[in-house]
Amino acid sequence: MRRELERIEIPGEHDARERAWALVQTAYAQREPAERPLRLLRPVLVTAAFAALVGVAFTPPGRAVVERVREAIGVENAEESLFSLPGGRLLVASDGGAWIVQADGGKRRLGAYDEASWSPFGRFVIAARDDELAALALDGDVRWKLSRPAVRLPRWGGSRTDTRVAYLSGRELRVVAGDGDGDRRLAASVEPVAPSWRPATFHFLAYVARGRVIVADAESGRRSWSQPARNAVRLEWSRDGELLLVQGRRSLRVFDASGRLRYDLLVGDAAPVTAAAFSPSGRGVAFAQKARGRAHLWVIPRLRPDASAAREVFSGPGTFTGVAWSPNERWLLAAWREADQWLFAPSTGRRRVRAVANVTRQFDSRSFPELEGWCCA
Amino acid sequence: MAGSGRSERAWVRGAQAGSVSDLEALFRAHWPRAFRAAYLVTHDAAAAEDIAQEAFLAAIRSLHRFDRRRPFAPWLHRIVVNRAIDWARARTLRGEVELHDVPGADAPEPGDAARLAAAIAALPPEQRAVIVLRHLLEYTPGEIAELLELPRGTVNSRLRRGLDALRERP
Repeated sequence: MRRELERIEIPGEHDARERAWALVQTAYAQREPAERPLRLLRPVLVTAAFAALVGVAFTPPGRAVVERVREAIGVENAEESLFSLPGGRLLVASDGGAWIVQADGGKRRLGAYDEASWSPFGRFVIAARDDELAALALDGDVRWKLSRPAVRLPRWGGSRTDTRVAYLSGRELRVVAGDGDGDRRLAASVEPVAPSWRPATFHFLAYVARGRVIVADAESGRRSWSQPARNAVRLEWSRDGELLLVQGRRSLRVFDASGRLRYDLLVGDAAPVTAAAFSPSGRGVAFAQKARGRAHLWVIPRLRPDASAAREVFSGPGTFTGVAWSPNERWLLAAWREADQWLFAPSTGRRRVRAVANVTRQFDSRSFPELEGWCCA
Repeated sequence: MAGSGRSERAWVRGAQAGSVSDLEALFRAHWPRAFRAAYLVTHDAAAAEDIAQEAFLAAIRSLHRFDRRRPFAPWLHRIVVNRAIDWARARTLRGEVELHDVPGADAPEPGDAARLAAAIAALPPEQRAVIVLRHLLEYTPGEIAELLELPRGTVNSRLRRGLDALRERP
């Protein structure tokens, strides 16, 4: 019924909104501010700084300074919009909603969701906003939804014939069947880290609670193993389910399926890790660090105990907030927040780096969007 | 589109502190549903615009004392829906008939959405309001009872009668 109600056409809807905004803005400007002295001071300072910047920009030397700043943050000649992807589909979440980007660069908005992730085979999306969990078809059609308080970090796992969705509701970790039935609590007091299903099973789920990464049987609740994981921020199983990547604030560790530590990829005093991802084959890892104001994108094509195979792919001022591999493993996508760009860098070889500019605007967002996954071959 | 709880609290905080951009974010997140809710209850675009505008102006006037730990939407929707009910009741008493209520000889066959809109408009204002709150704005019957200050049983019976009438529409 909600979709039907939302499809009802209202005459002059757009103009009504803009008239209302003009009125609301005027009323807001005329209201009595609560703390007049501070509020007056702040705009004066901002205006003065802006005037100085504008003044610099309009003199020839000033223009050169601005150009150098622009060059320093972002790739020159970045494409103004996304024309194509090197295969697959991207899932993106912004404060303008959740979006799918197709291989031809076309975008579809799935709805006003804050977070989203792919189903195991990329045929559906599980999305969350406020107090709602929703399973969506790729055209945004809602297949089912649940109301739970403070829904976050949904993840969909399983086989072709049977799937489960894990998600956080407040501090609870909950599991529901892929058709929306049988919602139940699996664990309490978990940390706000997205759970990760061991691929091709709907049984084993990795999550973080009380400073430990825990792998448990989601049907019985029985713990398979756990290991210390202070400050863990992200979990990812390799596609074959044999390795679990645990990204900490300054660490990258890889455990095998029985919980033994296989690789500790960074030494003790490493720069903060801002993003990491297994390659689709599970044999390699790409990750980003930030050191002294610069973002560095690294790739380890083949995991080795000494991490000596790590190669720097790109660096620039700012932060790479997300990293994703193309489904064919030939490209890395780095989300470059300060440049408001997406960077496509070859994972091997010497092909040219490509970039797409104005990412925030392209997703109707006010803040830099989140990469939620690059699917499927 | 409403923002996440976190972003909405940030917008309210920013608007309370004088940020026009945060106020705009709040407005653009909530205007579409507020306006649509008002339209579905009043079935009058001009009235819906006035009512939704007035709700936002009321929000501006009360912004400094709004508790941002509470969600913004129910506060806004209470104003919108109550004023829309009042308008619709007053219009019913005046016995107005819009020109578009009289089908012309060459009028095109209305689509499903238009038929639904007309069917809702044929309901009493009180039933329209609970249907809009339940099925557009997705409040529970308990929340609707609180918003409209009605007994829950009254909300349930209005919902039932309204939905029955909609199901019987041609």
